Amino acid sequence: MQSDIELLTAILDQLIPANPDRAIPGAGQLGLASGLIEATEPTLASAIRALLSEVRAQPGEVSPRLVSRLEKDRPEDFRQLLSAVYMAYYSRPDMREKLGVGAHPVHPKGYPVDREPPELMKRLTAPVRARGPIYRDPTGGAA
Amino acid sequence: MSHEPVDVLIIGAGASGAAIAWSLLETRMRILCLEQGGHLPDRDFPSRREDYELARYAEFSCDPNVRRQPQDYPINSNDSCITPVNWNGVGGSTINFLGHWPRMRPSDFRTRTLDGVGEDWPLDYHTLAPFYDMNDANTGVSGLAGNPAYPEYKPPLPPIPIGKLGQTLAQGFNKLGWHWWPSDVAILSEDRDGRQKCVNAGTCDLGCAAGAKGGTNFTYWPILENAGVELRTRSRVREILVDQRTGLASGVLYHGADGQLHEQKAEMVVVACNGIGTPRLLLNSRSGLFPEGLANRSGMVGKNLMFHPLIGVTGVFDEPMLGHEGPMACSILSQEFYESDPSRGFVRGYGLHSGRSTTPMTYALGGYGIDDPIPWGAAHREIMDEIYPYLAGLTIVSEDLPEEENCVTLDPELTDSDGIPAPKITYRLGENTRRMLEHGEARASEVLRAAGARRILSKGDGKVWWRAGWHQMGTCRMGNDPERSVVNSWGRSHDVKNLFIVDGSIFVTAGAVNPTSTIQALALYVGDRIKTNIANLFD
Repeated sequence: MQSDIELLTAILDQLIPANPDRAIPGAGQLGLASGLIEATEPTLASAIRALLSEVRAQPGEVSPRLVSRLEKDRPEDFRQLLSAVYMAYYSRPDMREKLGVGAHPVHPKGYPVDREPPELMKRLTAPVRARGPIYRDPTGGAA
Repeated sequence: MSHEPVDVLIIGAGASGAAIAWSLLETRMRILCLEQGGHLPDRDFPSRREDYELARYAEFSCDPNVRRQPQDYPINSNDSCITPVNWNGVGGSTINFLGHWPRMRPSDFRTRTLDGVGEDWPLDYHTLAPFYDMNDANTGVSGLAGNPAYPEYKPPLPPIPIGKLGQTLAQGFNKLGWHWWPSDVAILSEDRDGRQKCVNAGTCDLGCAAGAKGGTNFTYWPILENAGVELRTRSRVREILVDQRTGLASGVLYHGADGQLHEQKAEMVVVACNGIGTPRLLLNSRSGLFPEGLANRSGMVGKNLMFHPLIGVTGVFDEPMLGHEGPMACSILSQEFYESDPSRGFVRGYGLHSGRSTTPMTYALGGYGIDDPIPWGAAHREIMDEIYPYLAGLTIVSEDLPEEENCVTLDPELTDSDGIPAPKITYRLGENTRRMLEHGEARASEVLRAAGARRILSKGDGKVWWRAGWHQMGTCRMGNDPERSVVNSWGRSHDVKNLFIVDGSIFVTAGAVNPTSTIQALALYVGDRIKTNIANLFD
């Protein structure tokens, strides 16, 4: 019989699958199951227990179809797990980086974004300025 | 700590409390501010951590019902389609606001005269304009002068970058011949007064560790504390006391950091607790003279609650939009559909705000302010790999009209940790707002396509963002008629002559712009009127 961690790992890989072409691991491959199994938040812990129990009662391996059934039969528990998996997965700096977002804490370094040159802003805003004022000014005279 | 009487007692150290304290500094009156939260130490800014996004769903959530910190009070929003969000601490909600800084427009102050809805304000844009300027200078506002949506004014600092996303969208607006302009922001584009310019972290809601964002914890409070204003933190006001003989406010009862209940006397009380906290406090301050709540002889305390209901439309482009780089809510703003046009089927209007996209976790969980996770499985992989990096979106920010049924009352059972009754929100979306949002959704899709979007993502279910209750207005509105308003044209209670209100609750109408620049301009204006009328202030 599969252990809780093995079973949850299989579910997690269905929730966030891998993309081998870009070397992006699935949520199970990333090893998130052990942390989730040890969750102390009561609602999440209870949801995971209930979902694992439901999976064990089903024949066959964990598949998209089985996970869809979990979602349908135990929607609140499933939602708890799904949110927790998304949080655990995307709080990893290495996963963030694979999606083009910096792995670093955003302070103090942030991101280098150059200010647009004044001539570019002038050119971009020229049609807007050319149309003239667009506000109503009942107390200060019509624009 | 002394409990000697003070001249001015300000309740709340957020946007408006800080601004009016600054205005009153020159009077040399003894000023005390009671704030239920504390200072936010530098080490506690989540953006210094690698897993910074987690804080958005825990101790740094914008939603006090999620955050549940000791200084927070719960809000019952079961009867509302929008839940209020805030921050309780020095800086108030300027800690986690996004720094978008548009002014209200001249027509916003005359909606009854111009469009037959709402009420006219007892003051106008031009009266407030010098106070907008003063506050912009104090805050360090960045923007581009010459916006044809406003009478002429000049932000003190050059604009922040609008980025690839803003440039792309601007070209779409230009193709359609629609207005847009770089957003005015309370975010530094240059170093100023010891504060560091914006580093484009993209997590403004998690507090700005650099001090680039104009939270009053970085702008007003350092000046105020250096000048001797006493800021008493972890001090939650239970009720405002009234002298039953004179009918004047005599001070407050508050729960201090020591856990004890204290009385603090004052010559003048200024309430600055936002559009939810202020009516809550007044309704909790009942006495023989004011059995329905302090300053509530009109019955208008808590009524006419206005938010800015929001929906979002997103375009998927061919190239990465780098939307996580730069201030998260501020790039460009279109006010093409701001003023009334009868042919549209609604009155008043809305803005199209180009926020930037967000970080992966928040996007996967449904987006900022939304609890609706994206699909799992193969669809998840496709969305995160093929859509997420290519997003640019527009938020439709609509003007809410005042309706008395939308209100703040006291919950009969729910309380904060000190046993003080919590607020209950009753709010539904008006029909005018629904039509406005539908119109905006269609226009946003149109301009995104014009900008080159290959696909439009729009829920089209008519549901507004749940955590869109940043802007809480109208619940103690200004006016010249004591039967129809709570405070007069300069923030003084009609009923209690030494009681002032300076936060968003005194708004008469909401406009369709983020309110903080107007809240602070109003607070500076009220401060100015107090100084002008100082000789006969309580007559």
